[in-house]
Amino acid sequence: MKDISLVKILPMEPRIPFINVRMFAGILSVIALIASIFLFSTRGLNYGIDFTGGTVIELDFGQETDLELVRTAVGDMGFAGSTFQGITPPLDLNKNYEFIRVGIPLQPETVETGGSEAQQIALRKVEAGLTEKVGKFEVYSQDVVGSKVSGELRTKGIMAVGLALLMVLAYIWFRFEWQFGLGAVAALFHDVLLTIGVFSLAQIEFNLSIIAAILTIVGYSLNDTVIVYDRIRENLRKYKTKPLPEVLNLAINDTLSRTVLTSLTTLLALIALYVLGGAGLRGFSFAMIWGVFVGTYSSIFVASPLLLLLKLKRGVNTGNRDAGA
Amino acid sequence: MLFFSKWKITFILGAVLLGVFFALPNALSPELRNKLPAPFQRTINLGLDLQGGAHMLLEVDLTSVLAQALDNEREAVRQGFREADRLRTEFIRVNEEGDAVVGRMRNAEDMPKALDVLRELSVPVDPTSLSTDKTTKVEQDGEKGFKVAITDANIEYIQTRTIAKSIEVLRRRIDPQGTTEMTLAREGDDRILLQVPGAKNVDEIKDRINKTANLSFNMVRKESSSEAAMRLAAEGKLPPGAIFVMNQNATNPADGLILEKRTKITGECLKSSSEGLHPTANYPIVNFGFNISCAKIFGKLTSENLGNRFAVVLDDEIITAPRINGAITGGSGYIEGSFTIESARELSLLLNAGALPAKLIIVEERTVSAELGKDSIDAGKTASVIGLLGVGIFMWLSYGLRFGTIANIALFINIILIAGALSLMGATLTLPGIAGIILTIGMAVDANVLIFERIREEAHLGRPPVNAIETGYRRSLAPILDANITTLIAAVTLYFVGSGPVRGFAVTLAIGIIMSVFTAVIVARLITATWLRRTRPKSLPI
Repeated sequence: MKDISLVKILPMEPRIPFINVRMFAGILSVIALIASIFLFSTRGLNYGIDFTGGTVIELDFGQETDLELVRTAVGDMGFAGSTFQGITPPLDLNKNYEFIRVGIPLQPETVETGGSEAQQIALRKVEAGLTEKVGKFEVYSQDVVGSKVSGELRTKGIMAVGLALLMVLAYIWFRFEWQFGLGAVAALFHDVLLTIGVFSLAQIEFNLSIIAAILTIVGYSLNDTVIVYDRIRENLRKYKTKPLPEVLNLAINDTLSRTVLTSLTTLLALIALYVLGGAGLRGFSFAMIWGVFVGTYSSIFVASPLLLLLKLKRGVNTGNRDAGA
Repeated sequence: MLFFSKWKITFILGAVLLGVFFALPNALSPELRNKLPAPFQRTINLGLDLQGGAHMLLEVDLTSVLAQALDNEREAVRQGFREADRLRTEFIRVNEEGDAVVGRMRNAEDMPKALDVLRELSVPVDPTSLSTDKTTKVEQDGEKGFKVAITDANIEYIQTRTIAKSIEVLRRRIDPQGTTEMTLAREGDDRILLQVPGAKNVDEIKDRINKTANLSFNMVRKESSSEAAMRLAAEGKLPPGAIFVMNQNATNPADGLILEKRTKITGECLKSSSEGLHPTANYPIVNFGFNISCAKIFGKLTSENLGNRFAVVLDDEIITAPRINGAITGGSGYIEGSFTIESARELSLLLNAGALPAKLIIVEERTVSAELGKDSIDAGKTASVIGLLGVGIFMWLSYGLRFGTIANIALFINIILIAGALSLMGATLTLPGIAGIILTIGMAVDANVLIFERIREEAHLGRPPVNAIETGYRRSLAPILDANITTLIAAVTLYFVGSGPVRGFAVTLAIGIIMSVFTAVIVARLITATWLRRTRPKSLPI
């Protein structure tokens, strides 16, 4: 049987000195982290209505419609701060009309009551005005979120990420030494912060599905980290005399082909999702694609070198599991 | 690792087959599906974002209900003292905090008797339950004062009952024929989740939610014809026991009538109502019929008040205020106002459904048109197929025909098992859920990649094929479990903290993780073992 195999092109035993560039990687990460925090605190995020409250409607006028016409029509009604965006329908790139997405900001009255009555009234006004000034349309989708709910969603989103990080820390701590737990969670913080940084930089809408993406990035990055850590632990038992940096480097190299392969298959699926999955999933798949890169990077260049920084001790790592025998 | 006992093989194949059976109905036409035995008729539910529909989160305004309960309590206390002899009070009122009825007796020696009366009024919260919780807690306050507070158990009972009643009324209003597949469920302390699939008439639904439909017939007080009294009334100065109610479509704040606050004729009296046409003038009206006891009360009321007017009040607006020309004893009649056929039909529907016990506020609304839903499904399907193909080809390129095929069979079974599990659980597939499945396609091969890499490594170290495979599977188990359990933790967190469509994502992600471990570690291993036994290869094609 003759088989062609791509992986055989990769060296069977790569010996790339990842650990040696840890200073450089560390500086790069710190700069990126500082930039992310700076962006987040100055530019902030482009929060979607899930977190700000407000109204978003997607309208289908049945024909190509001038965005400016819609903008003027809504502007004349006095809804300051409204947003306008033309959307291409998913898949059907040749359709000669566009969907128009109109965002109406939270009405002041809504903030007081927490409900969405004022939003509903504003929505009807805008709909009536647009029918009169622009033309008839079908409502493609319509989201109205009151300030009470958006506040809750905000709290819940932060809680979800925080709680997931805590639980994961607990699990790794339970399975490995504490240094591994801290290293893994530090790498996760790194990934989460950089993702927030990118969203702040590109001003892509940050909504509930991005929270889902961040948690999935947490899962994915951790997946990568745990695989490398597992190998580090195994190698620590196998090579009792090798210096620690070498053991770490060996583990990263041992798992390198797996890291590359899994990243590639995941990216393949995600790119399919990004290109073909429609407008509703574009933000999510963008976050995930970014997350795969950051997650892979952080497992190699953040999580592992951190073990050195955290002064991982040898000898206590014998653990209770039979992996090397 | 490579030995499978007979029963183990049966078990594994059985699980996979079961998955196939549960997944299969999704691919069948509805007619064919209905011929299958019941457990296999289940399919994946599509979330509202995929089939189109309206999702609304309604908040029940419980504060007004509790205020009403306190009001009633105050009335009951007043009544109780009136019925017990010579119990005279300085005042009885609801306190400023709005959580108790407070009052003071004129004479301190009346206190023991007053407290007895108050304690008598405190009855079990729920007579049908075994719990001994009382409705109120009575306290003496100083020498002559008292405080009657509503207990927490009672508040909770009122909340539960209010929400249950609201759900009941909403169901009758939105789906009077009982034919729509809609979800109405309590969510949290004070909210109701309403989901109507495929809803086109969202504005109509919203209108029906927004109207409380509180109907009452109140007598018009004589002060209404006095201009001075009306002016005072518009400023909020009213004689005791009276209320000022505006006319429907009122143009100025004085456009209303002074009415008797107390009335026994309310929406509860209605037996039925329907839209119709005025017998002579032929404009739209709303016909109604009272139940027997209310018909008697109404008959007595009308015969005693000949020549006076009564007002039909709906949600704090006067619809009409006719003069009583003769006693109405038959218990039926009609309401006329400025109705159109549609508004008459809408009102009679609301009256038939009953009044909402509290005002409902829409705090969140998400509506997706069926067209967008269909577009999303199509896009999701294409993305899945392309993703699946891409990953499959990639695996073949990476691991060659033999192991590539094993990984791809595992991947394929994985997808079928996810579909089967989703159908069996009756889980709801949402747009983010589709994203979860596509992501799983990419990540599912991870376990196989780990195993195969380990096998290659072990083979490279000079182990013979069977030994290399055996060791490869054994040594990759721990990292696979560790890696997947951590992702599972993230998914479970997401499920419990997330809401709506995001939950759908968490469900598919979690199922995907579990199934990918099962297919990679167990199913693929079984295939590998069978292949090894059949061919006994001298070298590994990996």
